[in-house]
Amino acid sequence: MSTMGCSEFMEQLEQWMEGERHGGARAHVQSCPACRSFVTDLDAIQAAAPTLSIADPEPPARVWAVLRSQLVEEGLIREQAATEWQRERSWFAGLFTHVPRPALASAYLTLLVLLAFGLSGPVMQQARPAPSFALADELDHAEQTTVSSFASSKSPVSADLHQNLEIVDHYIALCEKSVREEPENDVAREYLYQAYQQKADLLSMITERGDFNQ
Amino acid sequence: MRIEPMREPSSHREEASYGPELRIRRRRNTARKAVALVIPGLLLCGAALADHVEKHFKVDAHPVITLHNPNGTVTVKAWSKSEVMVVATPASDQVEVDAAQTGNRVDIMTHPVSGNASPDGLKADFEIRVPEDAELQIHDDSGAVNVNSVLGDMNVETVGAGVDLADAAGYLTVKTIDGPFQCERCAGRIEVSSISGNFRLTDLRSYQVRAQTSKGNILFSGEFLPNGMYELKNYSGVIEVRFSPGDSFDLSATSLKGKVNNEAKLAPPSHQQHFYSKFNNSLFGSFNAGRAKVELSSFDGTINILKRN
Repeated sequence: MSTMGCSEFMEQLEQWMEGERHGGARAHVQSCPACRSFVTDLDAIQAAAPTLSIADPEPPARVWAVLRSQLVEEGLIREQAATEWQRERSWFAGLFTHVPRPALASAYLTLLVLLAFGLSGPVMQQARPAPSFALADELDHAEQTTVSSFASSKSPVSADLHQNLEIVDHYIALCEKSVREEPENDVAREYLYQAYQQKADLLSMITERGDFNQ
Repeated sequence: MRIEPMREPSSHREEASYGPELRIRRRRNTARKAVALVIPGLLLCGAALADHVEKHFKVDAHPVITLHNPNGTVTVKAWSKSEVMVVATPASDQVEVDAAQTGNRVDIMTHPVSGNASPDGLKADFEIRVPEDAELQIHDDSGAVNVNSVLGDMNVETVGAGVDLADAAGYLTVKTIDGPFQCERCAGRIEVSSISGNFRLTDLRSYQVRAQTSKGNILFSGEFLPNGMYELKNYSGVIEVRFSPGDSFDLSATSLKGKVNNEAKLAPPSHQQHFYSKFNNSLFGSFNAGRAKVELSSFDGTINILKRN
């Protein structure tokens, strides 16, 4: 029977991905469908990554910092583990070294949103911390990068996408305000995370269209 | 009152007075004029036809047709032949249309000839005929997509292009950014999402509908089938659902900051425990036996549940 919890397993995720798969972690993965599915996905990405061409090396260091601080903040990992994770992070960062720019952008944005959904799940429901909206900052940063690379395009499609990005930003601001005012309001949180998802989808789409138009 | 007799046309009057010789000369002149008009016309038509691409593909049951087109009007209609017909009209020579068959799949793609094509130059319009059991995958950023009487599964993605489906069935997934979506007399399962597109779902017979738009309005006026599931969601705008007295559904309607207006006489919910939240404007209840499930939610929009006229 597994005695390790999900949080504890997440602390050991780096070792797991580097092949150090101890008995407790193995037992947990066997018994926990969510973690099993998660590591299966990561294994698949790790296996596929070397076959993709190299273009843009790595997301900015601040991404790791934000992910780490958010994981710490939500109690998913401890500060010590986070420091180690920040120092080494070889397997995780390595995933992105082989991925071309549009795929990188999509994967990165999807990861952020998955993280957001993950954090909005049971852990948040227990603790109900004040929202930090670090994810919104990351999406804004991704937006600046994506939009600047697409700025040269004057097509109507580009104009449509940018206009709708503003609409989504507006809803994100509204939802963040609601969540700040009413942290217990689950519906507001759900709307907020869906708006993040929409923004990530839209930025991915802009990235793809940018490649098409160039 | 004096009634003037109707006059014959002048040419007829002249022919009548000058006899058969003049009549033949005039016919020759008319023939020359006709030839003079018809030949340039034919040349123009020929030039226009040269821009047309028409291809035919023999297919088996349940063929798959994919289309990637950045800009243009796409019209797809079902017919009774086991054949796919593609008629493409590129707007300029800056764009080319490829259509090729692989097994039971027909792939159609518009692509720029050179890298510096203008957005308008990339336009191509399509008229496509498919067997009614065809599966469609259509990507059309701007323009319009119209599909009529196709019963297979369908996936349509656009940015600004409106999507208009009629008499469709199967599993329909539609994604737009700000293109409106209209579905008339559709059956099967519908999933549609947009950021600022309006949705109009009328005379539906779908057992599952999931529609989400951020800024757009949603109108649903169709049957709520027993055990059907209907989820309509937006951030702002109006969600309007029209019901008839014979409908049977379990209703959940929530607007976080907006209003919920209801004309349905609801009994306490029969199937599910709902939780009222102090933060939201919510309405829960069963209409008749509550056979279908209807979930309406909005962030700050208005929800109207109205009687169908």
